[in-house]
Amino acid sequence: MTRPGFVLEVDERTPPLLVHSGESLRLERFPLGTRVIYPPENLPGIDDPAAAIEAALDAPIDSPPLRELLYAGMKLTIAFDDISLPLPQMRLPDIRQRIIEAVLTRAAEAGVDDVELIVANALHRRMTASEIRRAVGERVFLSFWPDRLTNHDAEDPDKLLHVGLTDSGEDVEINKRAAESDLLVYVNVNLVAMDGGHKSVPIGLASYKSLRHHHNSHTMVHSRSFMDPEKSAMHSSAWRMGRLLANSLKIFQIETTLNNQAFPNSMGFLTKREWEWSARDQAMAFGAVRGLDRMPSRLRRRTFQRMEADYGLTSVQAGEVEAVHKKTLESVHRQQLVEVNGQSDVLVLGLPYIGPYNVNSVMNPILAMCLGLGYFFNMYRGKPLVRPGGALIIHHPVPYEFSQLHHPSYVDFFEEVLVESTDPATIEAKFEKAYATDPWYRHLYRTSHAYHGVHPFYMWYWGAHALDHIGDSRNVVWVGADRKAVERMGFRAASTMADALEMVHGAVGSSPTLTYLHAPPHTLANVT
Amino acid sequence: MRLRDVARGWRWGGRPLVPASAEAHRPPTQPPGEWATEWARTPLAVSARAAIQAVGLKPLVWSEVSPQVRGHDNLIGLEGPVIFVANHSSHLDAPLILCSLPSSWRRKTLVTAAADYFFDAWWRATGTALAFGTVPLDRRGTTAASSSTPRELLDGGWNLVIFAEGTRSQDGQLGSFKSGTARLAMSAGVPIVPIGLRGAFTAMPRGRGWPVAGRQKVSVRFGAPIRLRPDENAKQLTDRMRVAVTQLCAEESSSWWESIKPAVEPAKEAAEPAHWRRVWASTTPVRHQSGMPADPWTRKD
Repeated sequence: MTRPGFVLEVDERTPPLLVHSGESLRLERFPLGTRVIYPPENLPGIDDPAAAIEAALDAPIDSPPLRELLYAGMKLTIAFDDISLPLPQMRLPDIRQRIIEAVLTRAAEAGVDDVELIVANALHRRMTASEIRRAVGERVFLSFWPDRLTNHDAEDPDKLLHVGLTDSGEDVEINKRAAESDLLVYVNVNLVAMDGGHKSVPIGLASYKSLRHHHNSHTMVHSRSFMDPEKSAMHSSAWRMGRLLANSLKIFQIETTLNNQAFPNSMGFLTKREWEWSARDQAMAFGAVRGLDRMPSRLRRRTFQRMEADYGLTSVQAGEVEAVHKKTLESVHRQQLVEVNGQSDVLVLGLPYIGPYNVNSVMNPILAMCLGLGYFFNMYRGKPLVRPGGALIIHHPVPYEFSQLHHPSYVDFFEEVLVESTDPATIEAKFEKAYATDPWYRHLYRTSHAYHGVHPFYMWYWGAHALDHIGDSRNVVWVGADRKAVERMGFRAASTMADALEMVHGAVGSSPTLTYLHAPPHTLANVT
Repeated sequence: MRLRDVARGWRWGGRPLVPASAEAHRPPTQPPGEWATEWARTPLAVSARAAIQAVGLKPLVWSEVSPQVRGHDNLIGLEGPVIFVANHSSHLDAPLILCSLPSSWRRKTLVTAAADYFFDAWWRATGTALAFGTVPLDRRGTTAASSSTPRELLDGGWNLVIFAEGTRSQDGQLGSFKSGTARLAMSAGVPIVPIGLRGAFTAMPRGRGWPVAGRQKVSVRFGAPIRLRPDENAKQLTDRMRVAVTQLCAEESSSWWESIKPAVEPAKEAAEPAHWRRVWASTTPVRHQSGMPADPWTRKD
């Protein structure tokens, strides 16, 4: 029986708690009375994923079985989530490979010749050949790469189709091949409640023209939170687009959920509750804390980026998008949802080494901001974990470091835009269009492995709700961070958590209430 | 984070603590496996245990506390096997009882110990089985924790020390007795020897791994054997056991005559006394009863 998540109250018996801080780990003693939110224990993974996939395809929800949708002479397109999911990468075989192979087996049986596979990378960087091979497996890769297995190109006018406008006047423009297919099969990995549903096709295969309707500062401030699709303006927009698409396009959605085994089984201490650590766990944690700090930075990064999670598959469902996604969310909530009573003055976060946009890359300051104020802050339903006007204390080194290959526009965003303003609405109005249409960024996005020119703006918008909620951005304090990098973003840096608490004293008083979101693995707080 | 912080955080050498708010979220305890302890009852192990207890354990315990043992006369003429039943407030209780027994009795006496506590790790199980002759007892009664049941041990001629409260007292006061001991005595047809322990709670209460400094006085008093009466049921026998242990404890602080008066237990108050009052009563210093005052400075009284 899996134990549910719960809220710990730190007392004298509580050992030091694990805190992620980029490519290092900390064991931190928290002030007495601090609330610590632990996710439910790992749900058991499905013993036979292949059989579960077969069952989902043969008995889908609100849809005929996949076999009945396949016929000779049809145009079939399979789109799948890109490298931003799951995090960290899963131990092979990747669940996408298993599903795509099952779909293709049925397509071959039905005599379907015209098949294309598309990475639904939207404005993310193109995946490399080896990354795609890892996701889809050798057999699929050899069969379709490079002509019929491609990255989506959101800047190729010949490969985009404007499907129409929603009732709210939003452009729906997606990949032409997908839009013109007789059947579009979408293969999703649903790591958090934000993923999946109509976010898959209308966002993953969209163009800038379509994305700008929901990826903007206004929508993000009104997505409370974007981990709660029903309360998220971004999801409302995506849902309107998805329903419009459903009028002209048959989508067969396949969604999967994973348990919280977000690290290798051999590193069990990363997902266990600290007071239950065995002597081995303690030794590994102590060794990791001390060893990582002494490791050369390149070796440390390689060690982390090569880490493979021993995820267990907790559910797989297929069929009509909305019906499928409803079941998916239930499964995600079963693994991640924790009941929390009330807000606190201070929210403490520990950011790990990886976010959706720095797989095999560097987490630059903007990505760190997005991970902290975007993703982690939004891991709630109901109310944020911190009160309006409270403070955020985030553990991360925020190195002043960028990947010129993956994040070229981020460098200019950091040096040109943030110098002028850190207000999401201001920078959107003043700078977004120039970056989105810059020919050099567009060229790098299309031909190299660079994120789109507008992507750093989106990262900043993801933190817009947190910035709005906290009010004074100087009450966001980064522990152990590069002072210059943090100050450029309008925040402050502290050497220790005690110093950080001292620094936010003005906003929250001398004895504030603290909440520490013990993540990763993913923890979604239902704050009432 | 230094190594010392890890050692302190996880209490190396002690049992790891669980934060109070996490108590309700502890993992379900696995039923303890079946621990084979027959090896600890072989002639070689018995001889080794006798040596450990005589040369190591008894001098150690006697150096850390100041015990007074009474009531050996109740064992004269008694034929084993018997069940020793005592009040339980400290980890000192079992060593005190074993070391207080005459050596001929001690060699044939085993201590029942909670399987979930003493048999959760091989080194703890082996160590206690060798030094104390412990046999695992499943407190929840869900599984057979031992390869030999207590009944089989009694039938084999072994005396058993059983703490009928099932766990150590939180406040030093005598708790309620579980009826399993009485049922065991009834089925095996063996007498029960009650033992009253006083001062052990003060010397080494819950949470301590070693007796407090200052050689606290403790007393071990053996009572007259209790035998099953005709038509007596397990509950009645359990009640008699508890009364006997209560009397033996009371005898230490008053006299035998006072202790056997009907109202041995304090008059029932409307509400249970506060925790601190119960602890206060349990930690009343033990006065050794002898011709000589225990403390030379009280001679003038």
